[in-house]
Amino acid sequence: MSFRNYKSKIDEGDTVILYLSNNLHAIEVKPEIKNKKGEMVENVYQTTFGALKVRNLIGVDYGSRVDLSKGWGHVLQPTPESWSLTLPHRTQIIYTPDISMIMLQLDLVPGSVVIEAGTGSGSLTHALIRRIRPHGHVYTFDFHDHRAKVAQEEFDDHGLAEFVTARHRDVLAEGFGDELSGKADAVFLDLPSPWSGIPHAVVAIKNEGGRFCSFSPCIEQVQRTCSALESHGFQDISTMEVLQTEIKVTKRTVPVRDLSFLRHKSSESPVDEKPNSEKSFVVGTWPTSTPGHTGYLTVATLPPTFIRKKCNQVQESSDQLKTIENGEKDKPNGAEEMSIDENQ
Amino acid sequence: MCDNTIKVGEYIVIQKQNYKKLHKFNKPNSSVNVGKDTINLIGIEGCQYFSIFKMIPKGTKRNKEYDLELSKEALNLIQEISLKTSGTDNRNIYDDGRSQKLSATEISELKSDSISASEIVETLITNSNTFHNKTEFSQAKYLKKKEKKYFEYIQILKPNLRNITEILYKLDPSKVQGVRIDTLSQIMTLSNISSEGNHLLYDSGSNGLLVAALLSAMGPQSNGQLVHMHPGNMSQKQALLAMNFTSEQNNKCVSVNVYSVLRQVYQGSDTNSADSATEKTTNLKRKAPENIEHESKLPKLEVSDTISDVNLNKEHDDAKENNDDKENSEVKENSEIEERAPKKPKWHFDNIRASEILTQKVDSLVIACKEDPQNIFMELMNFVKPGRPFVIYYSVAEPLQNLYMTLKSLSNVGALRLTNNWMRNYQILPDRTHPEVMMNGSSGFLLSGYILK
Ligand SMILES: C[S@@+](CC[C@H](N)C(=O)[O-])C[C@H]1O[C@@H](n2cnc3c(N)ncnc32)[C@H](O)[C@@H]1O
Repeated sequence: MSFRNYKSKIDEGDTVILYLSNNLHAIEVKPEIKNKKGEMVENVYQTTFGALKVRNLIGVDYGSRVDLSKGWGHVLQPTPESWSLTLPHRTQIIYTPDISMIMLQLDLVPGSVVIEAGTGSGSLTHALIRRIRPHGHVYTFDFHDHRAKVAQEEFDDHGLAEFVTARHRDVLAEGFGDELSGKADAVFLDLPSPWSGIPHAVVAIKNEGGRFCSFSPCIEQVQRTCSALESHGFQDISTMEVLQTEIKVTKRTVPVRDLSFLRHKSSESPVDEKPNSEKSFVVGTWPTSTPGHTGYLTVATLPPTFIRKKCNQVQESSDQLKTIENGEKDKPNGAEEMSIDENQ
Repeated sequence: MCDNTIKVGEYIVIQKQNYKKLHKFNKPNSSVNVGKDTINLIGIEGCQYFSIFKMIPKGTKRNKEYDLELSKEALNLIQEISLKTSGTDNRNIYDDGRSQKLSATEISELKSDSISASEIVETLITNSNTFHNKTEFSQAKYLKKKEKKYFEYIQILKPNLRNITEILYKLDPSKVQGVRIDTLSQIMTLSNISSEGNHLLYDSGSNGLLVAALLSAMGPQSNGQLVHMHPGNMSQKQALLAMNFTSEQNNKCVSVNVYSVLRQVYQGSDTNSADSATEKTTNLKRKAPENIEHESKLPKLEVSDTISDVNLNKEHDDAKENNDDKENSEVKENSEIEERAPKKPKWHFDNIRASEILTQKVDSLVIACKEDPQNIFMELMNFVKPGRPFVIYYSVAEPLQNLYMTLKSLSNVGALRLTNNWMRNYQILPDRTHPEVMMNGSSGFLLSGYILK
């Protein structure tokens, strides 16, 4: 239940984040767990610093230091960010840099109604819930029934059930359901063919208009998505990529080589391979290997119905792409360029 | 629905082509400058946000003054002007400056005859030697260029965090301390800000952008409160005002001078709580000048900032006016105190309220400063509950690197990360998809972590 409210003490059933020298681990606080034979046994969590008896966490203050058999760690209350770094992966997930941008681009605030597909491992969902609660709602869909089920159980366990509904549904084939038509402030798609979901997004978004975002790893997906957005009357279509780099900070002592003495005649040996002194710096080292691509974020606004353009008649066929000047993202009347290539 | 109509007194976003401008819609018949044009906003009041207006030139002279007329949609040159013939490549096109048969004066006459943009462009095309030889792509490009030149529509949008961040950054990144949209979005997540909990922000000059961001994520209907510390006399509010928050939502934020509030916390200068203040007027009388005194010892930086703000914001005349008004009234209030003790200034109660929140400790700490973040963090971290996150923004890495080394040696700070962002926008066109030619290489840096017990 530790995802729901700020807490000061750990209760049984909480998920806690164990912080060990810059590594994070999520632990479910259950005193006993089933072993392979199905018997209940003491829950002992193994770390690189030794064992932790999970029972001992109950009643401990969040933020405290806890002793392990060969060291210590600290227990933190989970946030969507630490959860994204520790959650059990059932699919590829979206991480904090993209998640943050998605939420800002979708104009989400407490009270917003947002639709998400697919649910996947619920990494984004947790962050969406935090942003829209207490009066908003997240409707999240996955066509994989096990994933949808596990996600709903997880939300229940995390005390988030009243802010989220996880459903098993193929949203590309069936849409988001009649009960959601005209209900959403924002629609987010992270699935292989987002362009097929755009007509459903139009149905789901409120008459007052709303925002759309899709996350796609491949540029071909982005092209088809932009094309479909254009023909369904979206405006301010824009595609971007966000990457985060972690900089390693260390103190570095570097040798200083003095060459100035060579200007003057001197008895010293003219060849001296040893540096003369040392100097200390605090340096930031940029990683040699770092994520270079996650996915493209394509965002757009669906204007309110009174000004919304009717869906273009042209079929979005995959090989006859329409032209979109996506770079001009702020153009009020975005649909124009499309017609160029289509006339022929 | 009334929520979505344009109201006098609210901030609005005016979008013309790919240019966006933030404007305070003060009077129904006020004018606004958009690029070189002066647009009279009469008639937009009561229309719905997202409405598109046609710009109707006033008079026949080229005075660049326009009235607005509600329109169903923005017309589109490429749709209006049918391209009949086009060449296959550019081999026969010479840019000798002679392809247009009309002279510059003839063209400007054409413009002042107040016919429609499509008519102007159609005339230009008819009088062009080369247009029909251009490739279809070049023709479209030409039309697009002309459209940009003669585009006669604006759209009024509702301000929100996304477009305010974009507009302020484009105007001058230094006025928002270089906080780019991706970095801002991460400050909001890394601080775990939500409708719940109390939060602490120290901001020495983002023009209210940080406070706008955090308050928008806290929402209007929650118990959470935000303590907004600033080193100046008045908090900078431009972005905050532009959000058009209800007073209910604005009241979640208590803006205080950092010196006053810390003095209040540690020395309890004013011991009267917000509701029992009346009994303690004598006490207040004695203490008030003290507050004024130290508030005048503001860091120079802040003062000059506010001034340059004024210069910058030709774009935001009305915002500035508004700020000025507030500032004046604040000053007035302060001086009144010296004369007549019984009238208690707002900042007095704000300090007490903020210090009460701080004493109970907060759920997150966000710092976006121009000063060395070290001392500020070391002071403010004491008000954060154990197990809660903090985020520190700085426009360059070195001060955060030094702070990182200091914090690494502390036992009550953990999970430190120093990060930097990279963001690129794309042009998406069939067979012509590529990253935008220009990208922004300056995201600023974030140092984040958790306070431990
Ligand atoms: C990459 S995962 C999403 C990860 C998620 N955004 C996260 O951060 O945890 C994509 C999910 O979309 C689901 N999916 C794919 N096509 C779908 C469809 N047509 N309808 C519903 N879900 C779909 C898949 O089952 C998969 O779980």
